[in-house]
Order: sequence, then structure tokens, then C-alpha cells
Amino acid sequence: MTPYLLSILEGLWVTIGVALGALCVAAVLGLAGAAAKLSPYRWLNWIGDVYSTVIRGVPDLVWMLLLYFGGQILVNDIAEAFGFRRGPQINPFVAGVLTIGFVYGAYMTETFRGAIMSVPKGQSEAGWAFGMSRFYTFRRMVLPQMVRFALPSFTNNWLVLLKATALVSVIGLADITNLAKQAGAAARGEIPGAAIIFMAFAGLLYLLISSLSLYLLRKAEARYSVGVKRGTF
Amino acid sequence: MRLSLLTLGLIGAATLAACGKSEPPAPTAAAPAAAPAAPTWPELRVAIDPTYKPFTYKTESGEPAGFDVDIAKALCEQINSKCAFVEQAWDGMIPGLLAKKYDVIISSMSITDERKQSVDFTGKYYNTPSCVVVKTALNLGAEAANFKGKKLGVLKASTQEKYAMGELQPAGATVVPYDAQDQVYLDIKSGRLDGTVADVVEVRGGFLSTPDGAAYSCAGGRIPVEFDAKYFGTGAGVALRKEDTALRDALDAGIKAIRDNGKWKELADKHVPGIDIWGS
Repeated sequence: MTPYLLSILEGLWVTIGVALGALCVAAVLGLAGAAAKLSPYRWLNWIGDVYSTVIRGVPDLVWMLLLYFGGQILVNDIAEAFGFRRGPQINPFVAGVLTIGFVYGAYMTETFRGAIMSVPKGQSEAGWAFGMSRFYTFRRMVLPQMVRFALPSFTNNWLVLLKATALVSVIGLADITNLAKQAGAAARGEIPGAAIIFMAFAGLLYLLISSLSLYLLRKAEARYSVGVKRGTF
Repeated sequence: MRLSLLTLGLIGAATLAACGKSEPPAPTAAAPAAAPAAPTWPELRVAIDPTYKPFTYKTESGEPAGFDVDIAKALCEQINSKCAFVEQAWDGMIPGLLAKKYDVIISSMSITDERKQSVDFTGKYYNTPSCVVVKTALNLGAEAANFKGKKLGVLKASTQEKYAMGELQPAGATVVPYDAQDQVYLDIKSGRLDGTVADVVEVRGGFLSTPDGAAYSCAGGRIPVEFDAKYFGTGAGVALRKEDTALRDALDAGIKAIRDNGKWKELADKHVPGIDIWGS
């Protein structure tokens, strides 16, 4: 039993790697999306709207398969048009990080948009009045204040994203879920109830990561709420 | 053998068609059959879904193993190539083949008309029989009439369900479809079912070899051979892209060669002892 459990444990790094990579992509895309939606330019609003609508309206799994397989077919077609035998292979880790990052970027867009709108407009106006550039104002005045508003919804998105990484087993990555499934199948007949035991172990690992991140994010929330008196209902 | 419907395969095929993909030039690989010295395929990328013991699984140390894997290695040797195994979950098997993530699927994939619309198959490299499992003490033969009044669980949408509905139900048995074969085993244990109709290898690994299945066995060994064509199909083959006809012919020749030289039997005895998995 122990070698199987250890093999599932190896998937922990893949899962954490995909989750953190995707989180970075999602955070960048989310900030860009929020900026686009709040921009005074009509065409930027439109791009932001299309992004968050189309992405959130299609299941994650469909995006994953579309980008990984559909994308590979596209790459092959282009490579073949230029006379190569086959196109460069899309790496499943990169595909997983980009797809999940791309999808959760749309959710982050709404998170950040709401958070930016929660910072009183007078704050940035004060910055501009002092002659700060738009970017500088955003970085020094809006960003530190919006974090407090963004964190609860950010935490929520992160937890959903973490579990969405289980989708990468569809494209063959050896993450926790995939390895648990394989171990369950391999130990069948040797260990009674193997499939359930290993899946439960996988569940435990996810719970461990999410509990740890909840703890850290709660600390961050407290840190960014310094100086704000919390009201109670 | 697995028969889960590969809707995704069809989506993949549709994507291909929708892209208006121009017919690729005949691969230069289709070259001289009469030059065995130079390897035509230096490397063969073989897709497996290692969740199907004893055919495809991973050992404790993470190495791919099983009948499919060993057959793949033997075939690679036959066509003067080297196998590179690629793991792929079952749902994405055919889309991955069409996207050229790998060259062949050797993972117990049943040859079906549905799949033949998007991919091509070699001939079978194995075909496991199915059987009706009931208490050994009943001492029944394999004929349908023996199961009158018995309550049998089957896996939904499986070939075994087709057989049970087509032959056993008219003969007086009650057939109950389930979502997973493991649920059938649980209900036999709980006493709600008298038995099941299942693939011989599957039922041995999942039930007969466990303590719960100790008092059970395959009635009459297997379902009579004459029902194979009508209900159970042609077996598992190597799946490949339709344009790779030269590779298909080479692999067909390879299957014949390992059947003839005894390698196939050696592997079958090693992984699935005591059962004829070539079929009729």
C-alpha cells in the first residue's frame, strides 16, 4: 500500500505547480480584464465583456479539450502547410496552466472589477490632482486599497481553481487525481477497496492544500484590513 | 474490454472535418516494403490508459505494464521500431490520436463501427469471452435456459447487457442494468442479485478472485462461441489514423508474426493465465 500512496504524493507537486502557475496567469489576465472593462474606451470595454462572457459561459473541461487537442490540430495544420512532418507538441503542463489560467482569469476579472469599484473614486482623483500618472495612481493608491475588497472573492476563486486542476488528468498529466485513479486500478484485487482508499487519500491532499491556503489568505486579509474597523451585523 | 462511447472522438473527428483539412501528402513513410533493413518507423508513440489491469496498468514503481504494453513492445520489435509510451486518459484517446499526440492506441480498445468512423483499426490482438457468473454450487451450464428465474446484474451499455437482454431475458431471467460493474458485485454480496454477466477477465480480477466471489464461478466456462459475432464484436485492435495504411499493414503482419512464433501465447499465458483470450 505504501508505495502506491507515495506515488500519489508525487502528484502533489504537479497539482500545486499547475494551480500556482494558473493562478499567476489568472491574476494577470484578471487585472487586465478589469482594467479593460473599466476603461473609458468603448472598444476595450467590449473586449473585456466578450472575454468574461465567452469564457465563463463554456465548461472548463470543454476549454481544456478544445485548446489541447484542437490547438494541437491547428499547430499541426500550420506546420504541415510549411512542409514539416508534424508540428511541435503542445506540452500538457503548459496547456493545463494556460487553459485554467485563461478560464479563471475571467472570474478574476469580475473579482478585481468589483474591488476597484469599491475604492472611492476620490482616491484616484486625488492622485491625479497631485500630478501622478494613471499607472502610478493605480499602483500606489488604488491597488493597496482594493486588495481588501478583492480577497474574499479571490480566495473563493482560488479554491475552485485548485480543484479544477484535476481536469489536467484528462490531458495525461500525472496530477493527484490521475495517479490516484491509476493506483486504484493497479491495486485492484490486491488491496480490498483500493479505488476508494486512494481516492479518499487524494481528497485528503486537496483538503490539506486548501486548508493551508485558507489559513494564509486569512492572514493576508487581516493584514490588508489594518486600519479598518470591522462592523458586525 | 471497454466499450465506453467515445463521443469525444467524434467531436475530434468533426473538428478535423470542420477545419477543412486538406488531404496530407501521402507520408513518405509508405516507402519500400522490400527494404527491412532501414527502420521505416524509428519511433512509435503508443498511447495507453493505465487503469485496466491486467491489460494496461502501472506497477508500484510507476512503470507501464500489462498484456497491452507487452504486445506493443513485441509489435514495435516486429516493425523494427522503438515504443515510446504516452499516457492518455480514456476520454481523450481518439482526439489525441487525431491531433497526432501519438501514432497508435494499444490500450484494449474494442473495434467498433462507431470508432471506425474516425479511426482505423488493425485486426484484433485479443478477444476475451464473457460468461454468466452464478453460485458454483448450482452447477449450471452456459445455455440461456439454465438461468430462468435468476436475477442478473449487468453493466449499462455494455456488450454483456446486449447479450443478457437478447438471450437471457427471453429465457426467463431478470436482467438489471447498473452504472458500474463494481456496483453489481456489491449487490451480489448483499443478496439482491443471483449473479452477473461480465467479461471473463474483468470478473475474475474484480470479483471471483476476491473473498466475496469465492463461492461463485463462470457457468459452463463461457458464453457459447456462436453468440460472439452477434453480440460481442471482434475484439480489441490497435487503433491508428486512417491515412497511416502502411503502418496498419505492417502491424497486421506483426500480429500474425507473433501469433505464429509463439510470442503472443507466451504473453497471454503470462498476463491472463488459464483463459483463451484469442477467441473464435
